[in-house]
Amino acid sequence: AQAGPHAASFCPLLNSGCRLVFVAASEWSGGSSSSTGWEQDSDEPAHNGQLLEAVHLVLAVQQRHANIESSELEKVLDSFSNMGFSNAQIMELFSLQPKFAPEMRLMVVCELILLGLDPDSTLMVLQRSPEVLRMTAQQLRHRADCLRKLGLGEGNLQRVLRRYPTIFTLPWKKIDAVVRMFKTCLFPVAQVTEILQSCPNVLLEEPQDLEYKFQYAYFRMGIDHRVMVKSGLFRMSLAELKNRHIFLERLGLYQTPDKKGQTQIVNPKLKEIIRVSQKDFLAKMAHSSLEEFEVFRKLLAREEEEDQARVSEETDSDSDGEEERSEIE
Amino acid sequence: MALQNFDMNYGAQFGSLWPSIRIGLLSEQKYGALVNNFSHVGRISQDLRSLNAVDFVYESQKAALHVPWDSPVEQVRSEETAPEETRNEQLSVEKTQTPPLLSTSISPNIKCYTFSRGNISRFPPSRPDTSGILGYYLLDAASLLPVLVLNVQPGDLVLDLCAAPGGKTLALLQTGCCRQLAANDISASRVSRLRKVLDSYVPKAVGSNVRLTSWDGRNWGELERDTYNRVLVDVPCTTDRHSVMEEDNNIFHRLRMKERQMLPMLQMQLLLAGLLAAQPGGEVVYSTCSLSQLQNECVVERAVELAEIQFNISVHVEDLSYFRSVFQDTFSFFKDCRLGELVLPHLTANFGPMYFCKLRREQ
Repeated sequence: AQAGPHAASFCPLLNSGCRLVFVAASEWSGGSSSSTGWEQDSDEPAHNGQLLEAVHLVLAVQQRHANIESSELEKVLDSFSNMGFSNAQIMELFSLQPKFAPEMRLMVVCELILLGLDPDSTLMVLQRSPEVLRMTAQQLRHRADCLRKLGLGEGNLQRVLRRYPTIFTLPWKKIDAVVRMFKTCLFPVAQVTEILQSCPNVLLEEPQDLEYKFQYAYFRMGIDHRVMVKSGLFRMSLAELKNRHIFLERLGLYQTPDKKGQTQIVNPKLKEIIRVSQKDFLAKMAHSSLEEFEVFRKLLAREEEEDQARVSEETDSDSDGEEERSEIE
Repeated sequence: MALQNFDMNYGAQFGSLWPSIRIGLLSEQKYGALVNNFSHVGRISQDLRSLNAVDFVYESQKAALHVPWDSPVEQVRSEETAPEETRNEQLSVEKTQTPPLLSTSISPNIKCYTFSRGNISRFPPSRPDTSGILGYYLLDAASLLPVLVLNVQPGDLVLDLCAAPGGKTLALLQTGCCRQLAANDISASRVSRLRKVLDSYVPKAVGSNVRLTSWDGRNWGELERDTYNRVLVDVPCTTDRHSVMEEDNNIFHRLRMKERQMLPMLQMQLLLAGLLAAQPGGEVVYSTCSLSQLQNECVVERAVELAEIQFNISVHVEDLSYFRSVFQDTFSFFKDCRLGELVLPHLTANFGPMYFCKLRREQ
């Protein structure tokens, strides 16, 4: 409706059309099953002329690609229908990222379907990450191949796409850096694959953050690589990992192993610390109250903040010193 | 070093309570802001209230008015009724029918602001006013409890046997009741620091009522016997919170083992000296900032025993459970002390540890 005044000069049909699109869209999103003319029944083989008109109208309202030939647009619509998209879903597809032409839209969607997504997931992926539409089919295919080589084979690939579609739009350098970091931390290839399969979100994180998390678990908690992978360490945020670990440590329930890997108490398993709800963690592991944990979180956050401030102050004064020296020279 | 020792000893002493005490000791402690009555009290109090801090002494007494009088705790307390004096008008209103209010059994005029349970805010450092006097003193709020329980009365002669660093001494002066305050500490350097504290908080005229000495407190029985109405014996101890956090000069260091082992003996001698320095009928408060039974209840028991046997002085140990019930909103108290009261560190109210026990020298 915002585009109204401009679009009005462009398309005389606007007033009625705009209302039609608006009403129809709200009915779709509400999941209404009422049949308003061009909304097809699921067993209806193809769209009818009214869908074509409605898509035209969307394009007109968006003031994009409005001059597309009806015959071309119809072909695109046919293809979508053949892939199993309902008219409502097709309308949704066209409402995303108006700047991309219908043909490009079709190519991307086609590629996603070929990667094994169903129409529902495809639409969901594009809604969550419209930037996927910017990719070419070749880019998408190439990224899928690369991810397969990293061990994200069939099944995993679709899961990654559904949950973290941006992994398909990230620069490859970024993904490569994460993988190389795991290798530098001496995770064997099989374990890297396992990490990517069970925690694909690592590909979205900064390598240095992941490395710090690894070092924290390895040196501070005394956890070996295999246990980190099996327990899903990389699924938990570093902040929450620290909250739980240091909470237990100060309660006297967790100890950093000494050089020989020994502790005076039996440490709880990593899995039991990180793979349980906060409620269970407090009740069964820490034997502590929510009130205490909440205060502890606040205190720890402040401690960390002040440690960080101290560190950066020290580095600041170091660099100040260097500046002074260079000035003297 | 200290922590290993604590895990062993306190783990046994406190059982399932120990982890929650332990994490309190290892996390940032809370402070209280003791208002300096010799500065601009109104403005200072207002500033502190604007930080969302509350005067826990005042709030506790206010809440105490609503404590049901038929509770068993109160019955114990009423046996040892202090002479009824009305110093706090606000609180004396309901006095007629009910048992004596707390206001008659704690030292008056002490105001200390703290942040409520679970609030981890900090106080900014106090700034001097135009006359150079500081508006408040930051300290572990639990360390006011020994002073509050000492119940200083107007005109009292008061002895603070181990006074440095000076928070409790300053609190004693805030009562405005000390005819004379003798503040002692065995270490001359610590006494000079105490003098500096007093100079920044107390006007010269009031300071002249304070006698600072650095003698060996154990000899007080010979120096000034049967002299004081009130005696505070805040002994050197393992300073548990400090010992787990600081490596420097730690009493749990191997080289200080002998000194550590001798602590309970030293503490007992100091308490005994305090009892001897008190007048018959006078009151003595023993306090430490340790959780150790050996330095707390055991010392009191031994000192009471020795006072009886060696000096024929009979000492009554007061029940403080009423006092505990009044302040339990602010502090986390240990419920099972044989004698006296113990404030336990707890994340939501991270004060203490502070042990205190009140003894009355019988006539």
